[in-house]
Amino acid sequence: MQNRRNFLQQTAIAAGTMLVPSSMLAALTGQDAVTKLTILHTNDVHSRLEPFPMDGGRNQGLGGVAARAELINKIRAEEEHVLLLDAGDIFQGTPFFNIYKGEPEMKAMAAMRYDASIMGNHDFDAGLENFATQLQHASFPILMCNYGFIDTPMEHKYAPYKIFKKGKLKIGVTGVGIEMKGLVPDALAANTQYLDPIVNVNRVAEKLKKDRGCDLVICLSHLGYKYKEDENRVCDLILARETENIDLIIGGHTHTFLDAPVVVKNKAGSDVLINQVGWAGIILGRLDFEFSRFRNKNLSNSHTVTVGKKASE
Amino acid sequence: MKNRSLPVSIFFIVLLFFACKTGYQPTTVQYKDYKVTPHQPINNELTSLLQPYADSVNKNMNDVVGSAAMELQKKQPEGILGNVMADAMLEQAKKKFNTPVDASFINYGGIRLPSIPAGNITRGKIFELSPFDNIIVLLKMDGNTLQQFLNIVASRGGWPCAGIQFQIKNKQAVNILIGNNPISGNNVYTIAMLDYIANGGDDCVMLKSIPQQNNGYLFRDAVLDFIAGKTKEGKAISSSIQNRVSNAE
Repeated sequence: MQNRRNFLQQTAIAAGTMLVPSSMLAALTGQDAVTKLTILHTNDVHSRLEPFPMDGGRNQGLGGVAARAELINKIRAEEEHVLLLDAGDIFQGTPFFNIYKGEPEMKAMAAMRYDASIMGNHDFDAGLENFATQLQHASFPILMCNYGFIDTPMEHKYAPYKIFKKGKLKIGVTGVGIEMKGLVPDALAANTQYLDPIVNVNRVAEKLKKDRGCDLVICLSHLGYKYKEDENRVCDLILARETENIDLIIGGHTHTFLDAPVVVKNKAGSDVLINQVGWAGIILGRLDFEFSRFRNKNLSNSHTVTVGKKASE
Repeated sequence: MKNRSLPVSIFFIVLLFFACKTGYQPTTVQYKDYKVTPHQPINNELTSLLQPYADSVNKNMNDVVGSAAMELQKKQPEGILGNVMADAMLEQAKKKFNTPVDASFINYGGIRLPSIPAGNITRGKIFELSPFDNIIVLLKMDGNTLQQFLNIVASRGGWPCAGIQFQIKNKQAVNILIGNNPISGNNVYTIAMLDYIANGGDDCVMLKSIPQQNNGYLFRDAVLDFIAGKTKEGKAISSSIQNRVSNAE
């Protein structure tokens, strides 16, 4: 509402001075310059702070935060509106984690100015209390809408969603975690309650889109892209299909290298995009959304998004 | 507002209407994957942030945690390296769970080095030996279920174990002794193993339904703790072939 009040105030000033700003003209005519948002994303980085060792392995030399940070900085210098997001499993996979329990991982993400992340199952690996403690080094929020953290060390250290304002755009971001049973020992999960991801994403996304007026709603997910052996197990493909008001799912957990974002129709017949970029920070994903202004927002029940050709490096 | 004329007020009402009914919608998406390769420029801020951790990690991995009195070899049906690792699991499981444990097993494929040479053992070597973040779990099972599990172990050529002795005959486990007593079908035994096996890995489906006792203790940490304990006592790591698992002829 703050924005609308500002808008009205600015309009009043403009009207008072008999100046008509172009944005107001645009509002009246329904025409507007293209508004762009760049989303950069990672998932399942698994403590890969340094590139893979040069040991003849398949991934030797790939990844590492120093090269990633430079890439991110370059893109930030070129683009006005950038969101940098991560889909969990920040922890576990290199001796850095065994020794420092996530401190350098959090510091590196803070230095790269991540905007948000979520918890993956491996982020419980040194205990929930450790994760909560390591967040002292993070400058970004942990967004979870389907973990009940009451009476846990995370109780006051997470948020169900965050709204980012980028120029004229309002972007709502929420997050979902995977069921801990069978993946996370009870002792490490503490009293964390796993709640239905579909119900909770729908609840939060509706609030973000309808009540808070977000133009784009993103769900960071550690549910996994899909499960061949169990087609009914909740995954990003099912989440996309069963939700309304989510535009983009940035996935993780299954370490899936998607060659292109996958488009799924949601319950309302609108397009939902899913993307996931493997693991270990080998790839930094980039999605550039273009927005157009429209009227009668509440009447627009379904819409499509055109996915362009993959840009070469 | 009071002094404004009616047309201006109407203007504002119209504006308010438009403000409520407009917004932005994504229309197109362009996408790109950036592969992070060694040929790209690196960020100095991140490099210096990482430096003290990296130095310490590398130093830490080169830390000598103990010493091997002999070459520790991985072998089937029984090998010295396997015996050391199974002993480490049994001893550390008893300590960490603070409960009696009858026997321990490690799947043969979970040992990722063919041998550890005699001499100093570094922490990095143990990470190479056990790179997976497998957790030790305790399972309570009756003698009949244990027999089924041992038959899988036997059919796979024998796995490292401690606290138990058996022979392999026609891919089945026979002459089984737990402690020093023959296996009994109705007795309940507490067995330590990796979560990977307890979750049904390596065809051990009969274990999947058994509740697991788990305190998040990594097997690799158990091996490191076991070696640290021996080093503290001034002992080098060694073992021998004790016919824990042998082929019956």
